[in-house]
Amino acid sequence: MTDHTPTSTGTDEPIEADEHTDRHRVAAAVDLPPGDRVVVDVEGREVAVFNVDGEYHALSNYCPHQGGPACEGLVSGTLEVDGDDELVWDRAGEIVACPWHGWEFDVTDGHHTASDRYRLPVYEAYAEDGDVYIEL
Amino acid sequence: MASATPDQVRSLDDLGTIVDTDFHLTERQEDIFPYLESPFDEMLTSASGDDYGYLGRVYPATGMVYSVTMGKADSETVRTREDVLAGKEFIGWDAAIATPTQNLYLGAVHHDDLAAGLATAYNNWLLDEIVDTDEGIYGAAVVAPQKPVKAAEEVDRRADEDGIAAVMIPSGSVDPTLGNERYYPLYEACERAGLPIKMHNAGGTMMTRFPSTWKSMSRALPVHVTSHNMMHQTNLADMLTQGVPVRFPDLEFVVQESGLGWYPYFMRRMDHDYMGAKWDAPMLEKLPSEYLDDQFYLTSQPVEGADDPQYLNAVMRLFDGDENLMFSSDYPHFDFDDTDALLRILRSEFDGQALRNVYGETATEVYDL
Repeated sequence: MTDHTPTSTGTDEPIEADEHTDRHRVAAAVDLPPGDRVVVDVEGREVAVFNVDGEYHALSNYCPHQGGPACEGLVSGTLEVDGDDELVWDRAGEIVACPWHGWEFDVTDGHHTASDRYRLPVYEAYAEDGDVYIEL
Repeated sequence: MASATPDQVRSLDDLGTIVDTDFHLTERQEDIFPYLESPFDEMLTSASGDDYGYLGRVYPATGMVYSVTMGKADSETVRTREDVLAGKEFIGWDAAIATPTQNLYLGAVHHDDLAAGLATAYNNWLLDEIVDTDEGIYGAAVVAPQKPVKAAEEVDRRADEDGIAAVMIPSGSVDPTLGNERYYPLYEACERAGLPIKMHNAGGTMMTRFPSTWKSMSRALPVHVTSHNMMHQTNLADMLTQGVPVRFPDLEFVVQESGLGWYPYFMRRMDHDYMGAKWDAPMLEKLPSEYLDDQFYLTSQPVEGADDPQYLNAVMRLFDGDENLMFSSDYPHFDFDDTDALLRILRSEFDGQALRNVYGETATEVYDL
């Protein structure tokens, strides 16, 4: 598959937990600007961290559909209808599509756009002293 | 029982051989054009010419915009043997029958003789660049339904190739439909060659024909068997996609005269596709099957499988028929159902309330009797 991942540390280097905490440094904040994402391996779990307009969102990279790399696909928006039922492009930059079958997930809360039955697990993500952390 | 080692399968590893019977190549025209034979190579391999930007040049498509078009699904490219081997590792098959992608549209190519020439070119390319029986890579020889006699010749030509395991008819755009006698030479050739025929449709090419192809069926039976449920599926899929039950939330629909088994199938197929294309039906606020469950009812006649209690009871449960099915007789039409045809079966597994619903109480509510 073509690589939609703009910047990624990849999953080659497992990330160690901070001593005595369950938080994990995933990137320097400067390396994860708005619109970007990284996919990291945290203790065997693949987690994607997105920067959407300065807000960090961490989601599992495992699609509940058939196990595809859900967070490595296209980040874009989606079609919605406005008050007059006309098609509009909505949620730009907040929807990630699993590259296997196109299942769309809301980057900000992990929900599938069509059904609450399916959701990517989400984790707390934040920046502190110039680094981006997640907590599992 | 004396069996000490029961035949149990716990994972894919326990299966032995895995054969993928529909593994797609994603060939493009430029892959197979070098394999065109005369006169089509001279015809299309010219130094000038202009396709005016039409997509596909000789393969008509209707311009369906789907998840791959938008980049929401990121479909692999499979145009070389190495690409196939990558797919082999991904799916984990031991053998596969490769099927084309662009040539699923071959049946819609306007120039009949060229269509046959393209089938030949595809098969040349397939054998030269893709097939590798040592790796378990087999192919289906593509034939052009526009030219059944030439298709039969194409089958004869490929029949002894080890790597050809089937013949594929791009069946989504055939005209007439595949029961017509013009196809018999092709069928004879495949039978002679011992090659099964793969029938594979593609949405974009069916759009050019379906359902006008029903006109080509010269008997009543195939029209009656397929048209009721297919037309309902077509209308329901369109109504759901366009949000009709959302726009008219107090409106109910009764779907009639089409039997039962297609309905739970359709619910699940619609949900399945919707999960990967929510953006194409943005009016919907819940799953398509949930709208069907809430605002649509099915009537029973003509009940198929009434001699098979296991089937009918299972189908009934698969769409909550105790709430959504209403008895109908279709009297006095030739395929009417006797009043207790359904009851005779359902009473073995459903309680009185379910049967009262089917036979009257649901209808009393729906029609406000």
